[in-house]
Amino acid sequence: MWPVAKLMIPGICGPGMVFQIDGFRLIYLGIGVLMWFVSGVFSLEYMAHYEKKSRYYLFLFATFFATMGVFLSADFYTTFIFFEIMSFTSYVWVAFDEKEESLRAAKTYLAVAVIGGMVMLMGLFLLYDLTKTLRFDELGEAASHALSTSPGRLYAASGLLLFGFGAKAGCFPLHIWLPKAHPVAPAPASALLSGILTKTGVFGIIVISCQMLAGDRTWGMLIVCLGLVTMFLGALLALFSVNLKRTLACSSVSQIGFILTGIGMGDLLQAAGESGSLAVRGAFLHMVNHSLFKLVLFLCAAAVFMNLHQLDLNDIRGFGRKKPLLMFCFLMGALGIGGVPFWNGYVSKTLLHESIVEYRFCGAASVCPALWQGAEWIFLVSGGMTVAYMLKLFVALFVDRHPSRQEEFDALSLSYMRPAGKWVLAGTAVLLPFLGMTSHLSMDKLADLGQEFFGQTGHAHPIFYFSLENLKGGLISIGIGMLLYTFVIRRWMMGEKENENKEKGGKITHGMCYLDRWPSWLDLEELFYRPVLQVVLPGIGGWVCGFLDRYVITAPMAVFLAVSAVACRAMDQMADSVIRMARKTTHSQIPPAFSLSMTGDGEALGSRTACGVERRWGSPGIFARKRRERTRAALIRIKERIQRNGRLVEESFSFGLMLFAIGLCLTLGYLLLVFIRQ
Amino acid sequence: MIYGIEEQVVLLLPVLVPMAGGLVVLMTRKLDHDRRWLLSVVLGILLAEAFLVAWALAAGGKLVLWNITKSITLTLSVDLVSCLFAALTTGVWLLVGIYSVAYMAHEHEERRFFGFYLIVLGVLIGLDFSGNLITMYVFFELMTLTSLPLVLHEGTKEAVMAGLKYLFYSVAGAFLALFGIFVLIQICGNQDFTPGGVIAKMGDGTMECILRSSLSERPVREGLFLAAMFCILVGFGAKAGMFPLHGWLPTAHPVAPAPASALLSGVITKSGVLAILRVIFFVAGPETIQGTWVQNVWIFLTLLTVFMGSMLAYKEPVLKKRLAYSTVSQVSYVLFGLSVLQPQAFAGALSHVVFHSLIKNTLFLCAGAIIVITGSTKVREMRALGSAMPILLGCYTVVSLALVGIPPASGFVSKWYLATGALASETGIWTWLGPVVLLVSALLTAGYLLPLTIQGFFPGRDLKREEERDKNLGIWKESQTEPGCWMLVPIGILTAGALLFGCFPGGLLDLIERIGAGVF
Repeated sequence: MWPVAKLMIPGICGPGMVFQIDGFRLIYLGIGVLMWFVSGVFSLEYMAHYEKKSRYYLFLFATFFATMGVFLSADFYTTFIFFEIMSFTSYVWVAFDEKEESLRAAKTYLAVAVIGGMVMLMGLFLLYDLTKTLRFDELGEAASHALSTSPGRLYAASGLLLFGFGAKAGCFPLHIWLPKAHPVAPAPASALLSGILTKTGVFGIIVISCQMLAGDRTWGMLIVCLGLVTMFLGALLALFSVNLKRTLACSSVSQIGFILTGIGMGDLLQAAGESGSLAVRGAFLHMVNHSLFKLVLFLCAAAVFMNLHQLDLNDIRGFGRKKPLLMFCFLMGALGIGGVPFWNGYVSKTLLHESIVEYRFCGAASVCPALWQGAEWIFLVSGGMTVAYMLKLFVALFVDRHPSRQEEFDALSLSYMRPAGKWVLAGTAVLLPFLGMTSHLSMDKLADLGQEFFGQTGHAHPIFYFSLENLKGGLISIGIGMLLYTFVIRRWMMGEKENENKEKGGKITHGMCYLDRWPSWLDLEELFYRPVLQVVLPGIGGWVCGFLDRYVITAPMAVFLAVSAVACRAMDQMADSVIRMARKTTHSQIPPAFSLSMTGDGEALGSRTACGVERRWGSPGIFARKRRERTRAALIRIKERIQRNGRLVEESFSFGLMLFAIGLCLTLGYLLLVFIRQ
Repeated sequence: MIYGIEEQVVLLLPVLVPMAGGLVVLMTRKLDHDRRWLLSVVLGILLAEAFLVAWALAAGGKLVLWNITKSITLTLSVDLVSCLFAALTTGVWLLVGIYSVAYMAHEHEERRFFGFYLIVLGVLIGLDFSGNLITMYVFFELMTLTSLPLVLHEGTKEAVMAGLKYLFYSVAGAFLALFGIFVLIQICGNQDFTPGGVIAKMGDGTMECILRSSLSERPVREGLFLAAMFCILVGFGAKAGMFPLHGWLPTAHPVAPAPASALLSGVITKSGVLAILRVIFFVAGPETIQGTWVQNVWIFLTLLTVFMGSMLAYKEPVLKKRLAYSTVSQVSYVLFGLSVLQPQAFAGALSHVVFHSLIKNTLFLCAGAIIVITGSTKVREMRALGSAMPILLGCYTVVSLALVGIPPASGFVSKWYLATGALASETGIWTWLGPVVLLVSALLTAGYLLPLTIQGFFPGRDLKREEERDKNLGIWKESQTEPGCWMLVPIGILTAGALLFGCFPGGLLDLIERIGAGVF
């Protein structure tokens, strides 16, 4: 048992940070340093011909610190902070190449990271509200208390956290970023993405499953189901893939499924009253092993890519011939991940297998033994598929011959890698069989150190890894793998290339090719996520919000203005209209003296008067009468004015009387009404 | 700090000095000919203002300006809220002033701009210092009127229309609020702002002032009181860009010069927050609306605004308009934090006032610089900026991440307090729906801010090839380089603030907790 040390830094980012170091964290610190060292050394060669290298190295180191922050954190708050930093700094790796597919993959990666982060944050909010603490060492107690008071909220919080961590781990159905991002990222970065960044997601899931909800049956079932689906689906995708790095990426998805199954089985076994140590030791060792496999395998892929700049199996086949070191390293990785006895993958897979078998035969599973029989078979078949796709890669790289460029490939035998790269690669590759062959000395000790983090203490009963009983599981998997390779891959996934390539190259006219038999439309991302997130949700949300934005104020305002304009105009003209009505009805016998409207009436009145004068007095022809006539005309004008004014007074007076009468009538009517009411 | 009755004339100085300075700048024609003189006068006044504000904040106390009638007085006073807002306003004003030195060289009528720039600062400090409702209202209206020329500055038809829209929304909002103020004053008179409020609910559903000894006036029913509070919320919410009166922001921001839009968005919207804060927590008291329909509708409106703002920003192609919608959304984060009436959310809200102010100012200043340098206004056209101006785009990226709420940058801290506070509050369905909306909005925030970064630093291979070709043909735009240090330094300081306040929010949170301890 490693002594536990804690470090608290209060005040940073509000609540403060808590770090801790113990056996598990120490091992992962070591693995992290090893992985970054190896891939850093390898990057020196790999990145030699790229522009903007400094950017790559900057973010390589930034991600290192963030990742270590995640592994050292001792509360979810700290975990989250470093987790987010890690997501964003590692984004630069994926986008680094700036090719169209890199940018697209980077978009997917970023979307998964941001959405996962936000969902996880919601989980943290809920969890914090329930338990009032996010410290790992206090969460178990607080969660068991919350489980009795409000289990629904606790499961909701844990589910949201699982979404966030699962997205990073590559758990189904959020595994979509792995097969996209790995092939386009620089290969040393892929090794880190796959080998250790996914493990930060697993780290979170371990904390939830083994420290918070330890021994919870429902949760264990959920994790095991997710693990089995992920394991099988990832292996299936890898089997179909014809791209070197994509196969490895899908393989990562599958191996994460193995790890999750182990974590879930730990919970289930504990719920059944057994010791979960078998399962969690398996899960932990598989985590460690997978980090190492993927380091080796991706660096082999890096060696291929930096020479050929191609990853399609049809283009790179035969590259590994006459390159014994590359072949050795790849073989070690393949045998390890395939679970072949005497390599380290065998040990962890055996432990995981044993945990399923143990649960099958203990009391709790007796309700539905067939189900667990099925789980065991999924496990074995996935293991078999692992063997099959690794065999496919191995044969393609080291056995097949390239139809046209084989001499060119062979000529590279001495110059394909610099010594530094060779040394670190070989050094890492040797670790795998070493761990596998000294399993009781090395791996058991590692598991002892790590299992405390999984809430397991004390020694498990010793496992004899190479007893016949345990070998059987591994051998069944290998057998399935061989069968799959011979009958499915060789028979169905290989064949004559279609016509289009013949036209292009002209050289590839015969020979067997690896065919991509996966239906191209069957892609969770293209089929579901992108349409929903890019088209449907923004479409609906945007429409609704646009409507609110545009019409909620302006439409009522327009209606209000229109209505009030009409109403005000009506009020404005009310008096006028009464007069007009009166003129048409009660006052119609009086000819209008002049128009009631105000505009231009003065002139019209003047000219009309003048015409009237002329008509009455004839045309002023005689000069002598001029003066008299002028006075007369003046008099007439005065008379006219008096008459007109008189008429006006008369009209107004009568109009006033009329209004008065109307008013009187209304008043009387009202009085009458009041009188009747009373 | 002294809370005495003694008159503190020093409180008047930070209000009057910039206003007087602004008037002098506006009147002195000579300054048109000599840009150096103009800038030195402006920067000198801004620096002096910083000292005056610090002095006034240190002195504290209260100053009765004018007894309009026996019951209506205008008073200035300083409390912790004033400290927070005044310090923020002055700091941001100074930095944006420095930025304007470089930016306004591209514009005409600098003297007019800087004149009003100073006057608005004086008015805002007056608003921060105001000691009762009437004073606050006076400065609030003054602020609308004096900041209008900043929007109108360009003088184009669009700018004038936008200015009118700004005026209409602000005045309509202020009048709506004025109705509420009448009702409040009928209940409690023009009381000085008191932490925790002065109104109590009586047993029979009427509202009474707890400070008054003689209860002579007619009591006000709860229904009328709540309607008044709602009017105040919606009315002052107009300035804070709260739905339904948010419409002026996306219209006014794109046409105003970059420093003006930065201040409109970063500081002036916060005065709406301040007004609401004063009314709810310093006059009415949070418990008077706790659990009523007003609170529920208010929360609903803020959340709707949060979502709507970020959704529309996500859909908006023009950069400055996008940022304006983003402001609509982000200021409602603050209002949401106030509306759940819970101390922790309150802390989140006030810290977000500071963080958003820093972040949004930086974003607008960056946008202004980018627009001036590249000449394009749409996000889609701004590609490959990373190689030409890495520092500027780097600052943009950091504050974008801060706004999204990526730890350890500042937006995360406020979001943490907002959400945990909302979850701990007693607001029914909103306890969890609020945080969900905040996170969805954060997601959209990433969606609308990060594309500029991504296509800036990772323009893609095809674009690189195009650029190479352009370079070979000699049509490479040489002018596309980093802006000068007059622009970069304020942006850098604001960015550092946005980052460091997130990492070390202790002092700020202590201040806010002291405010919170008073009001709850």
